[in-house]
Amino acid sequence: MREFSVVGKDIPRPDAWLKATGKAVYTDDIKLPGMLYGKLLRSPLPHARIVNIDVSKAQALPGVKCVITGQDIPKVKYGNWRLFPATQDEYALAIDKVRFVGDEVAAVAAIDPDIAAEALQLIEVEYEELPPVFDIESALKEGAPVIHEESPNNVSVTRKIEYGDVEEGFSKADYVREDTFTVHAVSHAYLEPCSTVAQCDLDGRITLWTSTQTPYIIQCLLASTLEMRENDVRVIKPYVGGGFGGKMELRPWEFCAAFMAKLTGRPVKFTLTREEELATGRRRHPMVIYSKVGFKKDGTLVAKDLKISLDGGGYNSMGPTATFLCGNFGAMLYRYPNYRFFGQHVYTNKPPAGAMRGFGAPQSLFATETQMNMAAEELGIDPIELRIKNAMVEGDVIPDVATISSCGFIDSLKEAARMSNWKKKRKSLAPGEGIGVGCYSFISGGVFNWFNTQYPFSAAEVRVFSDGTAHLLTMASDIGQGSDTALKQILAEELGLEMKDIRVTSADTAVTPQADLGTWGSRVTLMAGNAVIDAAKKIKEKLFGAVSARFNLNVIYDMECKGGRVYAKGRPDRGMSFGEAVAMVQKAQRGEPLVARGYYTPRGKGLVTPAFSFGAQVAHVAVDQETGKVEVKKIWTAHDCGTVINPMAAEGQLEGSIHMALGYALSEQFVMDKGKTLNTTFLDYKIPAAMDMPQSKSAIVDTYEPEGPMGAKEVGEGLVSPTAPAIAEAVYHATGYRCKDLPITPEKILKGLRDTKKRKRKRS
Amino acid sequence: MGLPKFNYVAPETVQEACQILEKLGGQAKVMAGGTDLLIKMKHGALRPKTIVGLRKIKELRKISFRKNQGLFIGAMALLEEVASHPKVKKLYPAVAYAASQTATVQIRNMGTVVGNICNAAPSADNIPSLMAFGAELIIASPNGERRILLENFFKGPGEVNLNRGELVKGVLVPPPPEGSGVSYQFISQRSKVDIAAVCVAAMVVIDKGRTRDVKIVLGAVAPTPIRALEAEGLLRGKKLADRSIQKAAEQASQEARPITDMRATSEYRRLMVAVLTKRALLEARQMALAS
Repeated sequence: MREFSVVGKDIPRPDAWLKATGKAVYTDDIKLPGMLYGKLLRSPLPHARIVNIDVSKAQALPGVKCVITGQDIPKVKYGNWRLFPATQDEYALAIDKVRFVGDEVAAVAAIDPDIAAEALQLIEVEYEELPPVFDIESALKEGAPVIHEESPNNVSVTRKIEYGDVEEGFSKADYVREDTFTVHAVSHAYLEPCSTVAQCDLDGRITLWTSTQTPYIIQCLLASTLEMRENDVRVIKPYVGGGFGGKMELRPWEFCAAFMAKLTGRPVKFTLTREEELATGRRRHPMVIYSKVGFKKDGTLVAKDLKISLDGGGYNSMGPTATFLCGNFGAMLYRYPNYRFFGQHVYTNKPPAGAMRGFGAPQSLFATETQMNMAAEELGIDPIELRIKNAMVEGDVIPDVATISSCGFIDSLKEAARMSNWKKKRKSLAPGEGIGVGCYSFISGGVFNWFNTQYPFSAAEVRVFSDGTAHLLTMASDIGQGSDTALKQILAEELGLEMKDIRVTSADTAVTPQADLGTWGSRVTLMAGNAVIDAAKKIKEKLFGAVSARFNLNVIYDMECKGGRVYAKGRPDRGMSFGEAVAMVQKAQRGEPLVARGYYTPRGKGLVTPAFSFGAQVAHVAVDQETGKVEVKKIWTAHDCGTVINPMAAEGQLEGSIHMALGYALSEQFVMDKGKTLNTTFLDYKIPAAMDMPQSKSAIVDTYEPEGPMGAKEVGEGLVSPTAPAIAEAVYHATGYRCKDLPITPEKILKGLRDTKKRKRKRS
Repeated sequence: MGLPKFNYVAPETVQEACQILEKLGGQAKVMAGGTDLLIKMKHGALRPKTIVGLRKIKELRKISFRKNQGLFIGAMALLEEVASHPKVKKLYPAVAYAASQTATVQIRNMGTVVGNICNAAPSADNIPSLMAFGAELIIASPNGERRILLENFFKGPGEVNLNRGELVKGVLVPPPPEGSGVSYQFISQRSKVDIAAVCVAAMVVIDKGRTRDVKIVLGAVAPTPIRALEAEGLLRGKKLADRSIQKAAEQASQEARPITDMRATSEYRRLMVAVLTKRALLEARQMALAS
């Protein structure tokens, strides 16, 4: 293994200080002279035709500067799948119909937020109510209300994957099981609600500060919906308080802020309330997952048939990608010689589901992993042994999808078993306690280009200076995950500099090099990291040339940048400081600064991703047999994320994943009544609190990903998947209640306990 | 939403506060910590023209104990102060515990026990244990003071027996009888920091092996906190055996009138009343026997 100086070290993030002391500037902190405050009028009905909107009273309210409806805006639909315009199904403001409670109908900009709120109440909308549908089954019924004319059966996207011969596989199976799982919607619950500020300059160009994961995507889609040229729109991402997939699309307030800034000539800000976020915001897809798996007696997997219906809500949002990915995740972790997947994305009259941490994996893997645990029991094989028997290994080929270029799955399983003392605890826990396992595999960025970018997937510009410093410019977006720090570490390592020598400018579409697809799918470290290395290598070639000339080095000498110096490898005296080397190059170029650009686009990497991460997790729970309440006592995690760039940040990702998955498994859900979300505050939307967090112990399995920057790959997103199935198995181990329908609530457990007792009584 | 506009007055004596309340009637709202009031105002649920802040009335911050009179908790005593008060912890541990389990650290350092009572949420953490101790409220008005048993104070969710010009000065908790124990139990969706979906307090007084007195108070299972009188009747004068505790717990569950809402279903609440009543009685018995 290569020795690193900066990479692999615990580096505290510089932004942590700013955030902890309240100095970091988020979008809502931005105040511009003459700025107006925007508010959105949302549909109170789940499904209705808009007959008429009268804004005259709102317009007449003193302090109101602008009111717009769907009639006022260009009729341009948007959506992230630009390559397939038929999937773009949303207008910034509803034009003909509303499709969920919260659908945006009109927008107001006023001199203060209270006036804007008052004006909303003066807008009169006449609706003609249409029959709504709220679940997949009703939406698919013959004669169900049609939500989008373009999809008469309410199915907007389907996807198939098939390899091997599934029927023949099952015919050879000794043991086949079929199960249907249902999983529910949860909120990203990022602590910074969505916020945006738009300014229009005298030439009519737009600058948009916005809380986003994808500045480049916002730039492109905003330009098209405003019918402007891409380069006339500048998107800047200030500090962002989390996204988790919920901030990667153009959203109505971004469009409305820009559109109204153009109309009024004044800056316009929108900041959503928590109630708006919870009542109408994007959420994780609910799914109905039918899965059939076949095994040999000895536990060898022979076939899998997976059918998933996604409850997409009123619009596609990121649903097409989720439909694609949940089928791919269904094929991961184990060697399925025969595999078939059918996925369909179904419209319902609920707030649209979008991308959320794991992007199809938490749902799909809940089914995979629960079914593995059920099969292990019936086959009489230890669940971890059954997994090891079928585990993917390095070099495995998933037909049409990828070759697994690095894989520490078996080591993760063994390490998780060792750390948790699995064998002993499985047999000898106190009554009411249980232990269970769940696993994950995840992508390190997508190789698909449904956005149809005309640029490389990631880009970096590196400028170096004779004072020994460097400046990294990248469109990669740090939304709290720490990419500014990680990319700085990669550059420092490559150039042999220290963290303090490097300045980073990121995520400004007018300043940083084109382009970057944004922060999602765990793509940034691998893709932007590779772009940084590409740029740094070009810089180094120039520096090596100058030093080589200065010392008249034999051309066979290898050279390196290390410890702030540039020198011949093995002959450190034949060299000079980094700054001196830069000065020499600059002199040789007669003043032209030393600048290089690097790019990365995955090519020849199959259909899904250049690299996969793997991991295993064990959960230990105690269940109160009278109240049905679950206490998660401890979680052990062993994971394979390639070279770890910043162990401290990786640990933070793990803690955050456990927190998010704990809520998914046990306490978080939307309480809905006829399409209306009832629990719209953190009092009643039950995110686990600090006191609910279990102890956690983790180990990182040593692997090296050849496609990753310095061997790195995904960390922290895949980790959100194993926890729910591990807890579900531990609850089963403790109580005999098997959860196939998330979340695992006390009521379900108590009912399960009663059923178990009844079964036992019958048997005896 | 921001706060709507309102006037703020801060009287320096109870008398002055009562006079203001008398004058303004329903247009005024009293504020102790404001942790419920201001939220309701932000959500538009309350629109008082005037807020009468009690912060300047020093005597209301008091927590005091006298052997013959018992414990007095002033209207401005913070939840955290009650939770950590040595006398409260020693003599009224269930009162201290309920205060310590209310909301979060930040809110406990703003909000008050009496405010939690006057907010009159059916799920209020601090009401059941105080009711179990037989607490009374001391209510001031321009014409003098009156006392009312805490259990007679509530009319419905958010509604209390207060007349125009009246102000709750504090809560008076009688000295705990010999051989008594009081326990507070609650359950919520999250493990610790959460609003109660069901809460129960039980008080028992054991004299020569028999239950001389018993109170069972149920919260969040009716429009107001209620006594489970028939369940109490099953225990009064009897030996407090495990089996009778179980029976009383089941009876209490029958007396509850829970609804289904986003925090729990009525079925689950009913089941939990039995579980929590049993646990409260068991703990109260243990405390009584140890006293």
